[in-house]
Amino acid sequence: MRVAPPLLLLLPALVLLPVLVALPLLVHGGGWELIGQFLQGAISPSLDPVVLNSVITGLGLTLGMALLGWAVSLMLGLVLGLASSRLIWQSLSGTALPAELVRRILAIPRAIHELIWGLLLLQLVGQQPAVAVLAIAIPYGALVARVVSDLVDALPTPNLEALRAGGAPAGAALLTALGPPLLPGVISYGGYRLECALRSATLLGVFGLGGLGNELVLTLQSLQFHELWTGLWVLLVVMLGLESGIGALRRRWGMPARFGLGAGSVGQRGRELLLSLLALVPLLLWVGRALEVDPRALLQWQALPPLAPHGWASALALPWPSMVLQTLVLTLLAAALAVGVAPLLLLLVAPWPWGRRLLQLIWAFGRLWPPPLTALLLLFVLKPGVVTAALALGFHNLGILGRLLLEGAEATGSASEDALRCSGSGPRLALLYGRFSGLARSYLAYGAYRADVILRETVVVGLVAGTGLGAQLRESLSSFAWDQLAALLAVYVLLTLVGEDLSDRARQRLLRPA
Amino acid sequence: MGAMQGSSPATSPPVLALEAITVLGRGKPRLDGVTLQIAAGERVALLGPSGAGKSTLLAVANGLLEPSGGQVLWDQQPRAHSARGRRRQQARIGTLWQDLRLIDELTVQQNLNAGCLARWGWPRAVLNLLLPIDSAACAEALQRMDLDPGLLNQSVAALSGGQRQRVAMARMLRQEPTLVLADEPLANLDPRLAGDLLQLLLEQAKAPRALLLSLHRPDLLQGFDRAIGLRNGQLQFDRPVSEIDPAQIQQLYGAEAPGP
Repeated sequence: MRVAPPLLLLLPALVLLPVLVALPLLVHGGGWELIGQFLQGAISPSLDPVVLNSVITGLGLTLGMALLGWAVSLMLGLVLGLASSRLIWQSLSGTALPAELVRRILAIPRAIHELIWGLLLLQLVGQQPAVAVLAIAIPYGALVARVVSDLVDALPTPNLEALRAGGAPAGAALLTALGPPLLPGVISYGGYRLECALRSATLLGVFGLGGLGNELVLTLQSLQFHELWTGLWVLLVVMLGLESGIGALRRRWGMPARFGLGAGSVGQRGRELLLSLLALVPLLLWVGRALEVDPRALLQWQALPPLAPHGWASALALPWPSMVLQTLVLTLLAAALAVGVAPLLLLLVAPWPWGRRLLQLIWAFGRLWPPPLTALLLLFVLKPGVVTAALALGFHNLGILGRLLLEGAEATGSASEDALRCSGSGPRLALLYGRFSGLARSYLAYGAYRADVILRETVVVGLVAGTGLGAQLRESLSSFAWDQLAALLAVYVLLTLVGEDLSDRARQRLLRPA
Repeated sequence: MGAMQGSSPATSPPVLALEAITVLGRGKPRLDGVTLQIAAGERVALLGPSGAGKSTLLAVANGLLEPSGGQVLWDQQPRAHSARGRRRQQARIGTLWQDLRLIDELTVQQNLNAGCLARWGWPRAVLNLLLPIDSAACAEALQRMDLDPGLLNQSVAALSGGQRQRVAMARMLRQEPTLVLADEPLANLDPRLAGDLLQLLLEQAKAPRALLLSLHRPDLLQGFDRAIGLRNGQLQFDRPVSEIDPAQIQQLYGAEAPGP
């Protein structure tokens, strides 16, 4: 028996069966009334000027943190990316060894989620806007560096060799041969990172680093659902606006879409692009001033509380195997839910013209709604645990994967699906056979990448839903047990590096021509 | 219901009837008041220069495009209102697309069985993606197209151009349609292959089946019963192939627009 591509796409959705079986066991008594009130709040958000004012202020702070963190991460990422490119070291110094070294070192900041960076920095330097900016910039910078170096090293080299053979100095030859083909990929990826930065900044707010996320979690905890929805609707409008704006610029400048990162297209309208980048500089300076971000404050470290005696012994005594197992199960459950449910839902709504619109709205909420908030909401009716955490994390990533799947489905064209419809097959079967066939491999490859991201993100729901390494991390953080924290971070880094390697292999296998 | 109008040369009821079909386009209409009928057993060629509206006419005939004016009747029935009725109607229309529209990621057998999706429910449709099913019928469909049944398990992407063309035809026949529509199926083939394929297609079009095939090479007309000339979205002639004289064809493809 060989599973054909369209079914392969739906295979991860099989995880729904055990989840649906487990769900009734997880439901506890009360709380349904609260869920009802929450849903009612959606149609009657508070329009009180005081609420609106605090939402707008919080949104400004979140947007500012996202923008600054994003800009710093791009600059960091470009420099570090070039510094970890084998091709560049090879051309400049004749050996690629330093590139390998930088790559290995960068794996560490990349493996640690921005929330952990945020919480660590918060302990070290106290509450201030610069913390969130830096918390975003560190892991994002390392991520951008990896993508940039991969892009550089994947570029064809004959042009470079020709320039070098003609006697051009290494630096000039690199810039001329690699700059133009590199730019579209970098800009496209950069735009995508800005969308991510907005989500991260909101998430950091949930954990007390300021901004709209803070408002959201406070209104949720005090059950002020009408006020909660004011923030949610505003955030939805901003996020959809940002996404469509970035999409429009990407098309206007002829940049590749996300599904086929690395597909070679040459950018257009270079002057407009340059002017936009230049316009960013005063904007960033103004935002920095408005948020009162002071990089110098980051240097004033608070004194750490003394270590508890026998700290290392107690760190070793933690239930490591079960924590690691829970984290892995959480990752796999959430990834399977997110990857599998998106195509399943698309199939379900295929016959109805409004179905897609509805899904787009639900998915948009999934993207903007930080997973710990979903977890809090689920805790109204479900017991804490791996499944609850996986549902929260899965819903968030469903929003991201669902949008990508729709983009991909629209890009594949309707010819085969139309042909099947014309021969009388139903809308669902036509979608399954006609569109999912061509989409399956690239979508699953992206899903493999996403699973790697989800592994990093487990900490975010672990902190709330009380499961895995994340739960222990919160305890260690709040009790200032630095030794436990160091051990936890080391395990996290190790896990994510192994996960990254596995997901890379899975991706390469999926994208290899059959 | 007395839905029929005009004089039909055939005695059996029409499989397809277009009545004063108009499709609006940018500026001028893509189809302008086209009326024609095709009876069971008839093999009709659709001629005309590129841009004449042949593809539009076929898209109206296979239900993909709803005309802005006029009515289409399939087996004397207008377009069904219910989704189920539409699907039953569509299942009787087989289309051979110019770009074939095979599913490259699936095997030949899975592609052939995709022609049966209208009749099959979900269980068989899903099973087809897991196991080779209906192998005997698929092998027979390949043999009818002069293809080796050994190809069943191959990926469609690995086939040659001529093989793909035949697989597309076999898929269409697996559907068991009463009306066969083909949009320039011979355009990208070398002359010998084009002749072979046309022969295969003409053999399949026996009553109760009917065939409408768009062609831009008038030299392939023998074997057809009737030819229809289309130019600028308007019907120029509709008569038995034996009664068509070369001047008419020349006029159809000529540079100047024919008089009203």
